[in-house]
Amino acid sequence: MTTVDPIVREVYVEATPETVFEFYVDPRKLERWLAVEATLDPRPGGVCLQVHAGDDRPDSGLFHMEGEFVTVDPPKRVVFTWGFTEPEVNVPVGSTTVEVSLTPEGSGTRVQLVHHDLPPSELASHAGGWATMLDRLAAAVAAEVERG
Amino acid sequence: MQAVLEAVAEPRRREILRLVRTTELPAGVIAAHFADVSRPAISFHLRVLRDAGLVAERREGTRRLYRVRPEGFAEVRAFLDEFWADRLDVLRVEAEAEERRKRAQQQPRKEGDPT
Repeated sequence: MTTVDPIVREVYVEATPETVFEFYVDPRKLERWLAVEATLDPRPGGVCLQVHAGDDRPDSGLFHMEGEFVTVDPPKRVVFTWGFTEPEVNVPVGSTTVEVSLTPEGSGTRVQLVHHDLPPSELASHAGGWATMLDRLAAAVAAEVERG
Repeated sequence: MQAVLEAVAEPRRREILRLVRTTELPAGVIAAHFADVSRPAISFHLRVLRDAGLVAERREGTRRLYRVRPEGFAEVRAFLDEFWADRLDVLRVEAEAEERRKRAQQQPRKEGDPT
């Protein structure tokens, strides 16, 4: 299987690394930005379960990210596997890895997220399903159109 | 990227992509899937998808067969970057709100401050 470059994203947050770290390991806080429901056991080998909403219909499109924490080094680094139980998402459980590094910068934190091991054919669906990805694209277009 | 975005902006075109994601299908079979859409309309949608590089078209006799072109989604990788970018943006907003709340708790309000 061919692998491709990882996805790398960075953001600066005006908060301490300790505060940011909680948003990866505290389920109630993770539910504020990434998943609609989370069960987290933040230690190596501990579960990292996230339910992602596929689209706007409440009765459909729930995707279950069943990961495992690999590294938990507060407040600096957290690594967890990333894969979905739904076969249509095409990112099998355990197949990819998300690595988060928090570095103090000024009065805040530089957050770097690296998504490793995404094979090219699966890139198009990792955002929570093929349908989701397409629907998100459509929503982005609609927003652009409204903005004129 | 614009052509890709426009191509997937239409719900029926997204439905077509789902249909031909894993199997190659003739135009007729694709059209038959949409009871409420005319055959020319489906041909138009297929053309838009083809021109955006999202589906490959192959002729076999008089039939035209379509399948998803995964490489056409290379640009969409940029969009997937956006998935994390969007999520991290929300993380930033939420973590900063959390930080302000914590700081407010640590620093008791001075007398006379409005609440």
